Amino acid sequence: MKKIFTIISCGISAFALHAQTNCATAVPVTSGTYNASYSDGSQVPALICTNGIDNDVTMGIWYSYTSATTVNVTVSTDVQGFTPKDTRVHVYNGACGSLTCVAGDDDSGTSYSSIVSFTAQAGVTYYIAFDNNWDDTDFTFQVFETAFTAPLFDTVMYNVTGAYVMCVVDMNGDYLDDIVVPDNNQIKMFYQQTDGTFTETARVAGSTPYMPGWSLAAGDYDGNGFNDLLYGNGNGAALMIANADGTQYTAMQSPQSIFSQRTNFVDLNNDGHLDAFVCHDIAPNCYFLNDGNGGFSWVQGGIGDHPSGGNYGSIWVDYDNDGDADLFIAKCRGGGDPASINELHRNNGDGTFTNVSEQANLADMLQTWSTAWGDFDNDGDMDALVGANSTANGPHKLMRNNGDGTFTDVTDGSGFADLFELNREHIAHDFNNDGWIDVMGGGNYIMFNNGDMTFTKTQANASVGPIGDLNNDGFLDILNFNQMKLNNGNDNNWIKLYLEGTESNRNGIGARVEVYAEGDGWEKQIRDVRSGDGFRYMSSLNTHFGLGTTDAIEQIIIKWPSGIIDVIENPDVNQAITVQEGSTLGTGKFATNLFSTYPNPVKDILYFASDDATEITEAHVYDISGKLISTSAVENNALKVQQLSNGNYLLVLKDSDGKYYSAKFIKK
Amino acid sequence: MKNKYFFNALVLILSCFCFVSCGSDDSYTKVPDVNEPASPVTLNLDAVPYATLSEYNFFEGDLKNLSPVYKVIPYDLNSELFTDYALKKRFIWMPVGSKATYISDSKISDFPVGTVLIKNFYYNTVAPDNSTYIVETRLMIKKVSGWIFATYVWNDEQTEAVLDNDGYSMRMSWNQNGTAMSTNYKVPTQQDCLKCHQINETPVPVGVKPQNLNKMYAYADGTKNQLTKWIEAGYLDTKPNGIISTVNWQDETQPLELRVRSYLDINCAHCHSTGTSCDYTPMELSFAQNESLFNLGVCREPVDFVTGNQQYIVKGGDVPGSLMHFRMSTTIQSEMMPTLGRTVVHQEGLQLIEDWINSLENTCD
Repeated sequence: MKKIFTIISCGISAFALHAQTNCATAVPVTSGTYNASYSDGSQVPALICTNGIDNDVTMGIWYSYTSATTVNVTVSTDVQGFTPKDTRVHVYNGACGSLTCVAGDDDSGTSYSSIVSFTAQAGVTYYIAFDNNWDDTDFTFQVFETAFTAPLFDTVMYNVTGAYVMCVVDMNGDYLDDIVVPDNNQIKMFYQQTDGTFTETARVAGSTPYMPGWSLAAGDYDGNGFNDLLYGNGNGAALMIANADGTQYTAMQSPQSIFSQRTNFVDLNNDGHLDAFVCHDIAPNCYFLNDGNGGFSWVQGGIGDHPSGGNYGSIWVDYDNDGDADLFIAKCRGGGDPASINELHRNNGDGTFTNVSEQANLADMLQTWSTAWGDFDNDGDMDALVGANSTANGPHKLMRNNGDGTFTDVTDGSGFADLFELNREHIAHDFNNDGWIDVMGGGNYIMFNNGDMTFTKTQANASVGPIGDLNNDGFLDILNFNQMKLNNGNDNNWIKLYLEGTESNRNGIGARVEVYAEGDGWEKQIRDVRSGDGFRYMSSLNTHFGLGTTDAIEQIIIKWPSGIIDVIENPDVNQAITVQEGSTLGTGKFATNLFSTYPNPVKDILYFASDDATEITEAHVYDISGKLISTSAVENNALKVQQLSNGNYLLVLKDSDGKYYSAKFIKK
Repeated sequence: MKNKYFFNALVLILSCFCFVSCGSDDSYTKVPDVNEPASPVTLNLDAVPYATLSEYNFFEGDLKNLSPVYKVIPYDLNSELFTDYALKKRFIWMPVGSKATYISDSKISDFPVGTVLIKNFYYNTVAPDNSTYIVETRLMIKKVSGWIFATYVWNDEQTEAVLDNDGYSMRMSWNQNGTAMSTNYKVPTQQDCLKCHQINETPVPVGVKPQNLNKMYAYADGTKNQLTKWIEAGYLDTKPNGIISTVNWQDETQPLELRVRSYLDINCAHCHSTGTSCDYTPMELSFAQNESLFNLGVCREPVDFVTGNQQYIVKGGDVPGSLMHFRMSTTIQSEMMPTLGRTVVHQEGLQLIEDWINSLENTCD
């Protein structure tokens, strides 16, 4: 130890720095340890690259740094073996007369010392300037280089302000994710353009006392092609309804006081119209039940009725794969109050719900504000990361869906036992497009899914915010207030779906989307289309799949809430596909490929023939307008159709491998 | 001319006042006995909450004057909860022959069935003409089954207040020491009430603890210690000689820490003390417990996620690094504290906390 110290001391004395009094004569530094002293008359760093208090700065110390290759550089006044001082440092590039900030730090080190890291581009000169904002005594600093690795996200500053920067969703019907910022009597829109720029427009919005202080959701409540907003406020909730061309918004308020938490759009009674659900902190949950004419009836009760609430993070997920959206509520409350026990409500398909928390093994008393849901093991059902916001009643829990309506705690060894960071927000998305859904929660970490129900904690230069594709490159980006965190991406493939419901709600919220391919360890991926995940933000309504190295998709299946099933055969990867509900019915290549139907026209029984051993197990019959007539199990490759009236029909068939085919037939 | 008119009016008001108070004095006896006149208050526990405030007969004359009838006793607290600068007038009433039993300085006394706590919320500088407007009157009534809440919203004419337990918002604009202020004033729902008035899932009053009541009050018949007055009126059985009391947080002659502890008790402890809804947070802010810096959150790391850079609930000397200060300084609903009862920042309370944090040494790192 002593010897090392001597070597460092020698190293320092080798640098006799005297010219570091201004930018023009800044002394070049490379990796090493340096002593620094202030001198009277030195140039004051006028451009401040840190937040916090600015005192009367009278002196500066200037160095320059240039690297032949791109490297990560750290400048630290927290140097082992030396007493840390209360320093402040700025890093600039540009010419001395017109510097711009690259980075800066005040107090990241111990005892208010400074540590700042930046990426030095090859051949670019950077200026490192210390000032005496706090202390003008001599200090020691260290410069060290580490190999450059591209950060997960590029930070792009964006000129957006306001208390409600919390929504990334398409608002003008082009499916490109926009930035949406509610304000008093207006909604500021930053419409994403096809060239990647944003066009700012303020839209007039009706006055409401219920600004989205707690949460925001988006969905096309009246089905006119322009998304509407749902504001969750501590005193009530408000719907902001877009007019016919999405240029103006009218407010509809909740008729009762609500301590709103998470809000969602969801079609609760499957009538084809989105309803607006509001989690209630201190009473049973409520919702605007869409009357189909742009209005609503107000309902409180039936879905999460604990009298003192505790409802924080509602998320709609089809946990039992029965085709309707069930509700999981992340709950929080101190004092040992049972209001903090999480709830799972099974959708009975008739507008009623049954609390199945206990039998599902999800009735945890855990202080959670949101729970991330996704098929983490790609086995065809939705798993849950119950994310803690406080460890008072236990840490995060990873729960695997057993496929039978129950869940098993698989936290041990999953990596979540080592995620000590907490958050109100826990969300599930595939951030690296490897085909495995990742989790983001506390501490600026992404838990990257390893594909075997384990996760690797990885530092990200972003925190949870609204998620969308802000540069339309197929990789998910994050909005952190005025910083767009643009995903740097990789070579993995992807596909996005832009849904347009017709029988179902316009956004296709509640639809189950499935991708079949020979993936890297997976054969099927699933997503639920939902409005509102995590605790407060609203993320894109587009459906995103990472595909890993897979470049061939066999099928994409969209099971709409109406019962219509769309099948897209062999779509190209790395594109966004717009799918109108029912548009693929009867257009499949069924008749000419694996299966054939006969006779056609048919009178009583329709038969299916295949050229291998594959069997048809399920048949969905639609009329020519796409309305679902019947769903029935198929045995012996035969379907009774004598009950149908004469006419043309569309058919979607499911085979024993879970794949889908579509065809037409005529009943005579 | 103008002055004379004012003087005449004053004489008139004073004589009315005198007449009323003399009227009570004549028949006043310090010890309740069979000869004690009945209080005019009407309280049928099976029928409350009544539809209107006037049905209780708590006040005589114009309702808006809040002039209490016999045995409706005004009271005040050493430090009071901040609710968007609303002013408050509080009263207590108990059925004849019943009294509260003292438990401890820091605990709500055991109030008898039939006790009514009456709290009127008003502003006296309402825009544009600095008028007085009573917004609401909140009652807590102790039934056999326990405390219930009843909130009465006043009409614009200020002639009546009507039961509304479902919550209500109204635009309120007023002059706060020369600054025009405006907010959506929130009348609470039943559930809102419970958010603060609940320990271990049982409804409870918050303010009427001996520690908060132990102060002098200028009654119509003279200034007296409130607890002494209650004992004389037959409303309280006893009180110890020395009561460990909160102070008025605005009283700058008091030690800073005592003012802070008093402020935090009345504004925060109903959710940040044992058995309450946020008792899992690293604070115990009730006055009886908050003498220790540890319980005040000093150098305690937040147990739940923090969106800012604050590493401690309170960090001595570091206002921006103290989460408590941040929560009090914001009006973003999902970040602010308290979450209920205020929509604007309590600048004076915030300054108090700021002064206190600056007075503390950094002992965290």
